[in-house]
Amino acid sequence: MTTYLMILMAFVAVLGAGIALLSKNAFNKLIGVAAIASGTIPFIAIAGYLDVAVAVALLLPLTTIMILKITVGDDV
Amino acid sequence: MPVPISEIVQILVAALICWIIFILVDLIFALPRKGGVSGATAIGANIKLAGGNLHGGLMMGNIVCSPDASAGTLLAACGVYIAGLPGGLFATVLVYVGNRICHDKGYAGTTGAFFATILITAITSWTVLAPEQFIAGMVLAITTIQGISHVHASRLLGKLWGWRS
Amino acid sequence: MIVSLICALVAVFATLRIVFEKSTERKLVYLNLLNFAITGVIVFVVGTMVDPWLAIAAAAAYFVGATLESNAIASTLAQKEGRQ
Repeated sequence: MTTYLMILMAFVAVLGAGIALLSKNAFNKLIGVAAIASGTIPFIAIAGYLDVAVAVALLLPLTTIMILKITVGDDV
Repeated sequence: MPVPISEIVQILVAALICWIIFILVDLIFALPRKGGVSGATAIGANIKLAGGNLHGGLMMGNIVCSPDASAGTLLAACGVYIAGLPGGLFATVLVYVGNRICHDKGYAGTTGAFFATILITAITSWTVLAPEQFIAGMVLAITTIQGISHVHASRLLGKLWGWRS
Repeated sequence: MIVSLICALVAVFATLRIVFEKSTERKLVYLNLLNFAITGVIVFVVGTMVDPWLAIAAAAAYFVGATLESNAIASTLAQKEGRQ
């Protein structure tokens, strides 16, 4: 059962990487990075490192918000 | 791996219950009236441009940009699955904190989570349904609104909003 | 269990729809669906292995973080449209 879940989550992560690579629009690339993280966090949780999973789940959206603030400027 | 047909039927019944809970609470809190944040209005305008209903699109935008009753119902079901009634109430507190973090002054998420906790605990004590079926049911319910066709879903939500207002 | 498989399949479906959708705002709606499904997957994978409060907090932290991120992307999109 866990193997099937891991295969499906790997699909999500690889598709997300594809979106991030092949998009021209910057916002679509950020959506792709969010998809990569969504696919990877269950792997970390399956391995038992729940605190690492929570750290990634909190840090990655923060990084996206930082990227938006730096590149677009202004208050988001 | 053989799946009994009764399990599928139970998951679909749980999906229907979750659909009714979150649509009702969101309509009561007037989510389709206006976009809570600027991102929600952008999503609503895009859906209207594609041929949908503006109010339905605004509600879908509000679902994306802030934890609303759909998020509350999902996290309540997760809480009840892991730790019963106290777990659901803890999830309600977390949804309230999440609402404040997203600068949302509304109570749709917290109310949805609270009602879902009570309802799911009651239903799982008295019928054959189990909390994990409510988690899958909620995911299926939100798929019908945000996964199949945004234009048609926004029109359905717009019609329901017309009855409410 | 079948329920965790349902959540994982909805996640793959949502990612596929993100790939084939042209409009960025509507990609955000499919991304929100992905977050719902992954929250379900996390809850089933963690289960009762750890302290229950930690498990619920982990799922809620992932979901709130993902919602914040979608909110930020949508707000920046709205800002860029407004400036043009």
